[in-house]
Amino acid sequence: MTGSHIVVDRLSKRYDTSTGAVQALTDVSLSVGPREFCTVIGPSGCGKSTLLAMIGGLLGPDEGSIVIDGRRVAGPDPRRVAMVFQDPGLFPWLTALDNVAFGLELQGIPRAERRRIAADLLGPLGLREFALKYPRELSGGMRQRVAIARALAIDSGIVLMDEPFGALDEQTRFLMGEWLLDVWTRARKTVVFVTHSLQEALALSTRVVVMTARPGRIKSVIDLPLPYPRDLESPEIASFRAKLWGELREESLKTMNQ
Amino acid sequence: MRRGVVLPRAAIVGVLALGWEITARSMDPLLYVPPSRVLPALGRLVALESFPYLPEHLWLTLREILIAYALAVGGGIATGFALGLRPGLGRIYAPLLGALYAVPSVVWYPSLMLLFGLGAASKIAFGFLLGFFPITLAVLAGVRQVDPHLVTVARAFGARPGTVFARVMLPSMLSTLTGGLRAGLALSVVGVIVGEVLGSKAGLGYLINYAYGLLRTADYVALVLVALALVLAIDGVAALGERRARRWA
Ligand SMILES: Nc1ncnc2c1ncn2[C@@H]1O[C@H](COP(=O)(O)OP(=O)(O)O)[C@@H](O)[C@H]1O
Ligand SMILES: [Mg+2]
Repeated sequence: MTGSHIVVDRLSKRYDTSTGAVQALTDVSLSVGPREFCTVIGPSGCGKSTLLAMIGGLLGPDEGSIVIDGRRVAGPDPRRVAMVFQDPGLFPWLTALDNVAFGLELQGIPRAERRRIAADLLGPLGLREFALKYPRELSGGMRQRVAIARALAIDSGIVLMDEPFGALDEQTRFLMGEWLLDVWTRARKTVVFVTHSLQEALALSTRVVVMTARPGRIKSVIDLPLPYPRDLESPEIASFRAKLWGELREESLKTMNQ
Repeated sequence: MRRGVVLPRAAIVGVLALGWEITARSMDPLLYVPPSRVLPALGRLVALESFPYLPEHLWLTLREILIAYALAVGGGIATGFALGLRPGLGRIYAPLLGALYAVPSVVWYPSLMLLFGLGAASKIAFGFLLGFFPITLAVLAGVRQVDPHLVTVARAFGARPGTVFARVMLPSMLSTLTGGLRAGLALSVVGVIVGEVLGSKAGLGYLINYAYGLLRTADYVALVLVALALVLAIDGVAALGERRARRWA
């Protein structure tokens, strides 16, 4: 399935904790079109993960709504949305292949078929030889690729990624970005990608959403209508970087001084 | 590897038996029986000459163990999950459980005999009591071991609570759970046999106590060896089950 349309409308979310209430999101509205690569960037604690969890149906909104292809989100729906988290969250007792097939298994697809689909995905991801390895035998980058393959396997129109490369070193991170771009170009899904890396946002996105410090609101949306692969040293990217950093700097300073 | 284990083990048993033989021969023959007298006694026991009703007694003990263990497994798993999955309940009651477990369990036995009488029921109750705690505590520890992130991932992929339980919680807890189930079995066995020794009219423990009371020391030692064989056989079955469970995960 290819690109779905996400409409987030006046979303608010508050967490009630023993030490008082935390307003995580206030009045967030956002529209992500089919086949977009939309990056969400903002200081830590501004509610990016909360926003993603709500689009994925893992959390319900206090106010507002999320509508995907005309249908309101009321809970996790893997037929429409797949998720990747910063912690790959692979099941340690399953091989890479069976981890990739996990979502398919829950959808009741027979073992032979789901293994075939999973194996077809692992090949192009450079993991063919690792299909029968367990997560503990894989490197951090491989684990995250397996987690991404697990998300791609269920063939949803949307993939949500919450800082998927946040735990990887700089070089691996860069290569994973290139790799993800390649996957996205071929799979043509709608991606919402959370990061705190300017470079990643500039290299990957068709548009960047900047969020304010807590309580999270949308500060600005910047379109990046540039072809891939991008030369991060080009003057065009440099001007986008300056603009993005201007927006982000203010919010990061707020978070630092809180 | 097999031979590297068997030989040293046989050697230590041989050395101990020899030491026992030498020591016992120089002591009061009424109280100290050397292996050379135990073996014939064991032969008579197995040939059903010394205790013709040995199979009935063994069978009774085995049934008591099975019932006690089944109750301990059911009760322990239910209690463990009830407390583990409801953090509120767990906070209130789990410490009580730990405190009860710390009490030397034999102190409960007299009250169990008063409640359930001299028959099988009090042995089953004692075996249940001993097996129940390690199983409950293993379930509690296992629930705490489950990585909440994996639960979130499973939910994101559409898992409902039953699926989360079967596909995430059980595999996460498996080694703790099987460890607890095995410890619980060993303790249920101990509970039943100790219960029989302390006061009963039938069962392996009763025979042991009977032989001991009549100073039939060789028969007594032979019966203890039978108890040992029974325990080893039960633990062997448990180990087999544990290995299978691990393969399933
Ligand atoms: N389950 C929760 N309970 C209470 N507070 C939470 C919970 N999850 C997140 N928060 C708080 O909500 C705010 C937003 O969190 P999050 O969405 O994780 O931000 P981000 O992903 O941008 O770092 C933070 O202040 C965080 O401490
Ligand atoms: Mg986050």
